[in-house]
Order: sequence, then C-alpha cells, then structure tokens
Amino acid sequence: MFIYDKKLEYPVKIRNSNPRLASIIISQYGGPDGEMSASLRYLSQRYAMPYPELEGLLTDIGTEELAHLEIIASIVHQLTRNLTDEQVEQSPFATYFVDHTAGIYPTTASGFPWSAAFIGVKGDVICDLTEDMAADAASM
Amino acid sequence: MNQERTQQTGCSTDQGTLPSCAPLAVPYVPFQQTGAAKYSAQEALAQGTLFPGLDLPFHLMVDGAEVPKTPLTELQALCFVVTELGLYLDTHKNDQEAFRLFQKYVAMEQTARASYEEQYGPLQQTGAAATECYSWLCEPWPWNGQQEA
Repeated sequence: MFIYDKKLEYPVKIRNSNPRLASIIISQYGGPDGEMSASLRYLSQRYAMPYPELEGLLTDIGTEELAHLEIIASIVHQLTRNLTDEQVEQSPFATYFVDHTAGIYPTTASGFPWSAAFIGVKGDVICDLTEDMAADAASM
Repeated sequence: MNQERTQQTGCSTDQGTLPSCAPLAVPYVPFQQTGAAKYSAQEALAQGTLFPGLDLPFHLMVDGAEVPKTPLTELQALCFVVTELGLYLDTHKNDQEAFRLFQKYVAMEQTARASYEEQYGPLQQTGAAATECYSWLCEPWPWNGQQEA
C-alpha cells in the first residue's frame, strides 16, 4: 500500500509565473515519457515479475516515480498560479487553461490526454525490463 | 571517472560487468559492481544520483542553482540516499558494505525526521496523533514552495 510523506523528494520553489514553460513541462507529467507513464509502468509490471529482486525493484522505482510526478505537478502549479488573463491568452498555455485552468491535468504538451497506450506491460520479464530501459532512456 | 579497478574484474568501479557467455538475441546491461564510488548526501540530491558512475548529465544541461541548506533539504538529502541505497540493494542484496551504509543512513534519516517533525509538524498522517490537534492539515502543503524549513 502507499503512505504519503508530506514533503517533496526534491525542493521546488518558483517565484515567477511562466505559462509558456508550463505548457511544455506538462508533458513530463502526462506525456508518453513522463512520470505518470513511468509510475504506472513499473507499478503495473511488478506483479508478473518472477524474482523478489524485481518485485522489490519495480515497486521501489514505481514509488519513486510517483514522487517525481508530484515534483512535476508542483513545478506546473507554481508556474501557473496567479496568472492574469493576458498572460494566459498570450501563451500556448491558453488551450490547456480553457479546460483545466490552474488544475494539473495529465496530458501531453500537444493536448493529448495521458493514455495507457503509452506504456507496455507484457507480463514477460525480458520484454518488460527492456521496455523499462527504453522508456527511461526516452525520458532523458 | 573513478579509475580504481577491482582485482576481480579489471573494470573500474564506475563500470559494470557483462556475462562472458550469454544467450543470443537477449539485450544485456552492464551490472553495477560492489564498492562503487558514492557522492555525499547533499551532492547526491543535487546530482540526482548517489553514484558518480550513474551521473550522466543532459547534453544541454545548465548548472542548476545550489540547493540551499535547510532542515528540510538536509532531510531530503538523507531520504534520497536511503532511496538510492534501497534501489541498489534490491539488486545487490548480499553487498554487506552497502547494507551497513543503508543501516547508517536510515538511522540518520530517522533522527533528522524526528527532529524536523518536532519543529514543523507531522510528515505522515499518523504523526498528527502526537500533536495537540489534527495538525495534518496545517499549511504549507509541499507543492506550494513554502516549506521554508
């Protein structure tokens, strides 16, 4: 099960709004190579792993990816709070804003909602671990 | 790059080993050896990894601001080392040296956590039971950037 620790894994302190930047960073939240994909990929693959080392590893990585998800959400939140109408309208963030305002919604930067199609869970140890390596390389 | 080479493998401790014979058509990843060099807790948090051998900065990376030293960032640094050592031990469970380091850092983290919570309130919901009121709801929540600590 999951317990919440009321702190970020790494500090996020952003003073200045920047909706344009937020419209790009949101992909690290809900995009194909973002933290939502990472967390759900590892946490879903762990069940079919045949060794305790891997059950443990995928559980622990997936848990940490949820912490990363929170960091990215904090970044987008701090970049988009207290925006003026003008700031919103004059940035690519406008199309996200119309449906989500200052809420954090899992979507790609291009506006496509997060999808389980972004992840692979084959239940085969070699396939799944290979997917993990490819996905982590992609996210870099 | 850590130039220390282990006698066993002849590889530097920032490198890994591959099997000498392996089944065809299956990808392999170099396996991290024991005794790898490690960063300090603060360096590890700043770099995003405990191991210099795994520190592969982005090509266009700009130097980030240094993490200011506060009770919270000290705790975050200790927690990060514990997380990193845990991940390492998941695949190197017999590495006694690493396990002892894990025990040491867990003890430090527990002390730092208790001290932080005494001053700033509970970090987990059940910790609110130890305070006078249901302090779990007290601001700030972590995503607002106000955990000055």
